[in-house]
Amino acid sequence: MQPKTISTAFALAISLAGPARAWAFQSHPAPEGLYVHQLAHVCFIAAMGILAYWLERNRLTEQRGWRFIQVSCVLFIAWNVFAFTGHWVEERVPDSSLIGEPDWTARLVIDGSPVVFAYYLLKLDHLVCVPAVVCLFLGIRALFVEANTREREPHE
Amino acid sequence: MSESYSVAPIWFTDVIGSGLMIVFSFLAVWYAVRLTRLQPSNVVWTYLLWLCCALAGFAVSRGVGHIAKRTLILVDLRDVWVSLRPYSGGINSVAFVIVASVTLFFRRVHRINSAILDDKHALEQASQEVLHLNRNLENLVRHRTDELSKSEKKYRRIFEGSMDMIFVLDPTGRFGEINPAGLGTLGYEREDLIGRTAFGDLFVSREGFRLFMEDLDGKGFVRDREFKLYTKRGDELHLLLSATARKTDAGEVERYEGIGKDITSRVQMERQLQRADRLASLGQISTGIAHEINNPLGIMLGYTQLLLRDHPPESEIHDDLKIIEKHARNCKTVVEDLLKFARSSPTRKGSVDVNQCLDEVVSLLAHQLELDNIVLKWDPDLTVPRVTADGEKLKQVFMNLLMNARQAITGKGTITLHTSSDVPNSMVHVTCSDTGSGIPYDAIDKIFDPFFTTKPVGEGTGLGLSVSYGIVAEHNGRIEVQSQVGLGSTFTVSLPAGAEKDQNP
Repeated sequence: MQPKTISTAFALAISLAGPARAWAFQSHPAPEGLYVHQLAHVCFIAAMGILAYWLERNRLTEQRGWRFIQVSCVLFIAWNVFAFTGHWVEERVPDSSLIGEPDWTARLVIDGSPVVFAYYLLKLDHLVCVPAVVCLFLGIRALFVEANTREREPHE
Repeated sequence: MSESYSVAPIWFTDVIGSGLMIVFSFLAVWYAVRLTRLQPSNVVWTYLLWLCCALAGFAVSRGVGHIAKRTLILVDLRDVWVSLRPYSGGINSVAFVIVASVTLFFRRVHRINSAILDDKHALEQASQEVLHLNRNLENLVRHRTDELSKSEKKYRRIFEGSMDMIFVLDPTGRFGEINPAGLGTLGYEREDLIGRTAFGDLFVSREGFRLFMEDLDGKGFVRDREFKLYTKRGDELHLLLSATARKTDAGEVERYEGIGKDITSRVQMERQLQRADRLASLGQISTGIAHEINNPLGIMLGYTQLLLRDHPPESEIHDDLKIIEKHARNCKTVVEDLLKFARSSPTRKGSVDVNQCLDEVVSLLAHQLELDNIVLKWDPDLTVPRVTADGEKLKQVFMNLLMNARQAITGKGTITLHTSSDVPNSMVHVTCSDTGSGIPYDAIDKIFDPFFTTKPVGEGTGLGLSVSYGIVAEHNGRIEVQSQVGLGSTFTVSLPAGAEKDQNP
């Protein structure tokens, strides 16, 4: 019999002889979702950064459309930083900071806390991500206009 | 008092911003779709479409989540939002990852697109080059065709218009092409020669053709070699031939190309000159001999006649003297003929009607010719002018010609005699043709030589044509002969037209 087969059989025997706990799967408690989300933001930042770099390196930014898209990448990076920080800060804001009805009439008590103040500001992240999407739209539209104009030019 | 801020700005920014993100992300998708439709082969636009779709998904997942959150909280359904929140967040996270994943494909997509564009560009360039080449090739071909056409016309004109014979033979030696001058020289129609007649068949001498081909195949060319060829009528031509053998790379003869110059007239002229020189020399010799012999003959004849008076006719000496006298007279006739040939005999020229001279000669010989089954066709041209000549001597010339013609015919035959005038050159021609045996080519140059005869010994002195030649030459005329063995001969006497004052005393 082969030594590998012997060691496998031995390990199986030990496992069956002394089952202390079930090792079937690992549990995923609540914070894990946030970490995954934060990691997704990091991925987003990396992807946007790489795209902006490639656009620059391939000199595509000489075209107006790609330049808009590059700006969009930078804004998305900024937004991701905002969002990433926002999620991090949100975990540190005490529940007591929010007073009143849980609607648009509610108020946020800052009381000189930079964390709460940062939270307030970072919650306004749409001020960054909306321009990012607008830049993406402008970039693609510019590329379309440019391509369309080139197509309509008479061939030599 | 505690410092607090309204969250209304956050609410409004969240709701409006989410809506705007959805709207602009879909507008971006719309333009990306238009881009891909505009240029379907551009994979970068496909990539952008995917990116926009992922971002739109992200915007929808995020925007809908945010709006739903605010709405549900506002309508006091916080519990519902709490239950939906993990899904919204999860979908949002997945959307992030998808956008990031799609984004990372940009480099590869761009490379593929660049490669495609490079290939496309190269193909277009190649296509343009091919097009350019095709267009140029067409022009080039047209240009070359025009040049070839001009060249063809030029050389065709040279070929067609050449005064010399130009011909092309196939490897078997048959005519492949020949120009009009060649056809005219040889007397053939084009259809008779092309592909049908072998060049060698036209050669008078098979040996000559063998030597011609030997040089052509051996050295590859023949330059300025004189050959005799037959025309379609059977006349002999003197041609100066130059030819080249065109061979393939394998060394096999593809065709022969040649040029032939008809030098028959020149050769005949040269022969006439040579003949005239020779006859002039012979004439001088003959004159000298004739004079030297004539005087002793005269003395011999005189003394013989004196002796004959002294001896009665019945005596044996008288008979012997008669024999001496007869042979002395024969010798004297020969000497006189020699003098006539040498133009040393006295001539009495006057205005002579050639037709009348011929009438007299014909009347003398008609009966004899009739007995010999020979038809004499006498065709006088009544318009011929008179000539200044010794009538008797001319009769002697015509008599000689007719007698020769009669002797050339064995069995039945025809002698044609006619006169004609050449007004532009002021000449009178007398032509005597027979259907006799003809004169061999080698003998033609000698027939006017004194004592040259083809007749058996004793049947002729060989002085007839020499005397005729001498008499005609004495009248500033010429005598020419054309003959074909087996077909007959034609003698033409040409005399200057015009009657001068009678030279008789």
